[in-house]
Amino acid sequence: MTLNAQAPGPDTAPDAQGLTITARTQGQMVRRRFFRHRAALAGMIILGFVVVLAFSSIGFAGIPGWWDKSYLDTGALVNQGKPTLSLVPEFLGGDGFRIGEHPFGQDDIGIDYFALTMRGAQQSLIIAFLVGIVATAVGTVVGAAAGYFRGAAEATLMRLTDVMITIPVLIIAAVIGRMMGDSGAVVLGLFLGLVLWPTLGRLVRGEFLSLREKEFVEAARAVGTSAKRIIFRHILPNTVGVIIVAATLSVANAVLLESALSFLGLGVQAPDTSLGQLISRYRSAMVTRPWLFWWPGLFIILIALSINFIGDGLRDAFDPRQTRVRA
Amino acid sequence: MIVFIARRLVISFFVLLAATVIMFVLTALSGDPLEDLRQDASPNKAAKIADRTERMQLDEPIPVRYLSWLGNIVRGDLGVNRDGHDVATMLGEALSATLQLVIAATVMAIIIGVIIGIISALRQYSGFDYTVTFAAFVCFSLPIFWIAVMLKQYMAIEFNNWLKDPAIPPTVIGALALLSGLVFGALTVGDRRRRLISFAVGLAVGGALFAFLSATRWFADPGFGLPLTLAIALAGAVGLTVLSAGLRQRGPLYAALAAAVIGAASSEVLGPLLADPSWLEIAGLALLTVAVCAGLGYGIGGLQRRQAITAAVLTGLFTGGVVFVDRMLQAFNGYSAAVRGRPISTIGARTPNFEGDFWQMNLDTAGHLLLPTMALILISLATYTRYSRASMLEVMNQDYVRTARAKGLPERTVVVKHAFRNGLIPITTLMAVDFAGVIGGAVVTENVFGWQGMGNLFIDGLREVDPAPVMAFFIVTGTAIVVFNMIADILYAYLDPRIRLS
Amino acid sequence: MTTSPNVPIEPRVDDPHTFELSSHVTDSAEDVHVGLTLDAVRPPSEEEILKVENLTVEFPTEDGVVHAVRGVSYTLREREVLGIVGESGSGKSVSSLAVMGLLPRSARIKGRILFRGDDMLKMSARKQRGLRGRKIAMVFQDPMTALNPVYTIGDQLAEAVLAHELMPRKTALARAKEMLDLVGIPQAEARLRSYPHEFSGGMRQRAMIAMAVINNPDVIIADEPTTALDVTVQAQILEKLLEVKDAVNAAIVLITHDLGVIAGMAHRVLVMYAGRPVELGDTDPVFEEPRMPYTAGLLGSIPSLDKGSGSARLRPIKGTPPSLINLPTGCPFSPRCPLATDVCRSSEPPLAETDSGGHYAACHHWDRLAAAEDPTEFFRTESETVA
Repeated sequence: MTLNAQAPGPDTAPDAQGLTITARTQGQMVRRRFFRHRAALAGMIILGFVVVLAFSSIGFAGIPGWWDKSYLDTGALVNQGKPTLSLVPEFLGGDGFRIGEHPFGQDDIGIDYFALTMRGAQQSLIIAFLVGIVATAVGTVVGAAAGYFRGAAEATLMRLTDVMITIPVLIIAAVIGRMMGDSGAVVLGLFLGLVLWPTLGRLVRGEFLSLREKEFVEAARAVGTSAKRIIFRHILPNTVGVIIVAATLSVANAVLLESALSFLGLGVQAPDTSLGQLISRYRSAMVTRPWLFWWPGLFIILIALSINFIGDGLRDAFDPRQTRVRA
Repeated sequence: MIVFIARRLVISFFVLLAATVIMFVLTALSGDPLEDLRQDASPNKAAKIADRTERMQLDEPIPVRYLSWLGNIVRGDLGVNRDGHDVATMLGEALSATLQLVIAATVMAIIIGVIIGIISALRQYSGFDYTVTFAAFVCFSLPIFWIAVMLKQYMAIEFNNWLKDPAIPPTVIGALALLSGLVFGALTVGDRRRRLISFAVGLAVGGALFAFLSATRWFADPGFGLPLTLAIALAGAVGLTVLSAGLRQRGPLYAALAAAVIGAASSEVLGPLLADPSWLEIAGLALLTVAVCAGLGYGIGGLQRRQAITAAVLTGLFTGGVVFVDRMLQAFNGYSAAVRGRPISTIGARTPNFEGDFWQMNLDTAGHLLLPTMALILISLATYTRYSRASMLEVMNQDYVRTARAKGLPERTVVVKHAFRNGLIPITTLMAVDFAGVIGGAVVTENVFGWQGMGNLFIDGLREVDPAPVMAFFIVTGTAIVVFNMIADILYAYLDPRIRLS
Repeated sequence: MTTSPNVPIEPRVDDPHTFELSSHVTDSAEDVHVGLTLDAVRPPSEEEILKVENLTVEFPTEDGVVHAVRGVSYTLREREVLGIVGESGSGKSVSSLAVMGLLPRSARIKGRILFRGDDMLKMSARKQRGLRGRKIAMVFQDPMTALNPVYTIGDQLAEAVLAHELMPRKTALARAKEMLDLVGIPQAEARLRSYPHEFSGGMRQRAMIAMAVINNPDVIIADEPTTALDVTVQAQILEKLLEVKDAVNAAIVLITHDLGVIAGMAHRVLVMYAGRPVELGDTDPVFEEPRMPYTAGLLGSIPSLDKGSGSARLRPIKGTPPSLINLPTGCPFSPRCPLATDVCRSSEPPLAETDSGGHYAACHHWDRLAAAEDPTEFFRTESETVA
């Protein structure tokens, strides 16, 4: 896919490029390419902003935040709970820049909707990142073991992966959500991660299968390097790119999965909340109080979109020639 | 190949079997199946509990329940749910509803997605390409239920309201014209001047079209009429000929144009037959179209007979499609009145107790399918677009495409015959796998739009901690995944001759 | 891209096939490998069919503009075999892709490419396409990837005919069979229905040659036609190329990094370095009395089978070719050249006629090479000097 821009033909391009970039290390190249990906950079900034906003505003784990209202306290409805946030300047006929008492409005029993949305964002982010971390860890271990050892170990692990893959993701997540939904976001995230690793496991296995045939691994084996050392020192570093990209995208998918589960009533249970649950709770309010519907949706999209763009940037950075295929 | 498939089937069978164990155990452990009855205030509470306990074998340990379920399955018995309803019946209804929903959505997503992906690849780094890429990423990031609720609000409720007086506000006409200009401009390659001209043309065409539609209140009583049908058919004939044969030789073009004219004319002649046909008659007409057009291509095609037949048959079917849509649109007014001016529905698969002619029944189905289909399409559309774009880009850089160019083949042949045929191979695999996933994956959409499909069968079963419907659901989706993966393999072997032998 | 951008794909000097075929550099008179020699085919006429004038090709990339070809000029006469030789990145492939009109849209091409007097760069796309494959055909480097895997050989050959001539498919297939016979594929009739993967590498390259000559072209551009093949097959393919060239009366532009192939097959040779022609002339004078240190260095890089003679030692060129994005000032070869002086580092020498007629070189110091007994002696390695 780079032919148009860079490579005039198999004859010239390798040297033309090879000579100009030999001076850079792998890490520098990755960083350089990532920061050149403008959408990924924007995604990084937006995600950082959302995370900081969600956790600093209403506080987390007993640490108070700078926002004075809680997501649990009800209050008197002000102006039917309409949002007080205004971003349209006065000379354009708006109310000028103003945050106001309830920037995102209030829900039907007077809870500050900004606080509620922030709480939802916290929970969704926690679940998504936990799923990403756990699924990546398990998937990498299983995939690496299956890919390196082959034989009976591989057969067993891959059949296990097959079994897990046969069950549609949403379905197994729904069962887990139903079982674990009321134990809090952390437990839910951990357990979802434990069932969502197979895709990543297959990916890592594929990488291992091709890498273990490479000359440098043969060489390491020939001089009697232990399996452990070959896996961790020789093969794994070469799969880092693939794993990081897949992990990033799995976080983005987990955000959407969690919200879908909560929407179906199978995720985070009341009185705690998540973005998906907020949308589900207020879906009938779309006509009368649309802000109850818009804000959590907006945050889900912001989070998922920025993570997806970061993932795309990472993919470009780690392997600019890899086709951007999403299955 | 057969040995390979047989081996795969055996392995898949055991994989599926193991998965049923996991599903059954997880479902049974996920809650208390008697929860609702424990809060029951009616006098026969104890009897109800005993009844359900016996039906679900709740006094037996879970492995025993699983084995007994498995035993029933082997005998072809899906069992009853916790209230004693026959699961097989429930499954049949749910499956037919879901298939109706996902087939339409998947087919459309494939066609539109692949076309957009290919154009995007052929116009790499153009404005169109960047827009499509960005849009695809947005689609990946959209929660489907959020989109579904939005669609209900804006595409159904407000659209139906608007249909009462379908005048398009000038600002909207302006926006649509601008959009059409941008699409034209983004699709054009060349210097700034050419792109600006395209933009202007698009702007003018879009503006005029929507202004006309608004002024004539077209949406209140839509339809093409014979002249417009003929014009669309002729334009389609030229386009399809360019794609399938090129315009260098006149044979295929004349065959296609003839097919278009005959098709449009016969829509008038066949008026009585088309007033209230059956699907069988429609299928017969389609077959007749193919036969007549193949004859036309054979007769007129000359040395390019093969291409002429392709062009003529495609044009014939396209014209038939246009006539079909025209008839549907003509029936719109009557249908709209019959459903009290709310043709776009938000709930269910059909209007209860609605009876009408063939076209109105179709409209009713279409009106119910529209929103959930749109919601389902968005995400798979993005997937297909990205996938086929990547696939085409990869193929377009292959040596054999360069060889094809070196032979002096026209770009059309290079793209359609050499690149697309190869790019299709991975896409086909995706199609098969995706379709399997969609059968069980429409859970959220079905939930929002109130379709009594597979998703609801599963969710309700899960909420009630009732393994029987959940397992019935899983057997269908799991088998679908296995079968469609197999179909993918077979298709792959069919499309790629390198696999046929080894 | 099928190749990784950082790995040069051209073989190293110690590649076995270079070794094998190059043996006739040292005694080109006795050619044991190529049965059909250049002397046996019809000689070139004076008629110029292809004239490339001051061709430059640039590719804008993220890292800067790649100056892939910087002013190439040559003429090709009827039935002539012109060898273009150089390392990877020397612009030899890009310049011939430019002639075929196969460069990506992003390429910036300047200069003139005259086919029988018509400038191909100014032609309409349609007219250019009419020449491509009909008058100028190409044989690519890797026959494994150059044929479309999903269509039969017959289909792909017939297609090349049908692209330029309207005829029934049957006639085109019959012509395809004739061509397969010509390139020596047995059971041609049945082979028409084979897929490329059912052919061996050598057979595929034969099929590619059949495809190239199926429309009786005037020019065949062969881009490293034997690099991807087994040593034993290479000679057969080259021989076949000469044979079919004679059969259809075509001229050949033979691109290779293998001096042995050029020595055995080309009337004239053009040596390229860093996108520029650095030496041009009849094959024997260029190889026996090179007037550009780079050519001399290439000759010194070839191992010889003649044990005992002075040239048995390898005298490789040190260093690597320059970046085509940041070219050094002066002669691009100066950083690697043992003869380089200050003038070489400040001004780039033009391609100018040397002491013998029709022998051109781009070197400030060609006279020093002319004076030397063994042109490769300047590349003596240190160990050699010590010994």
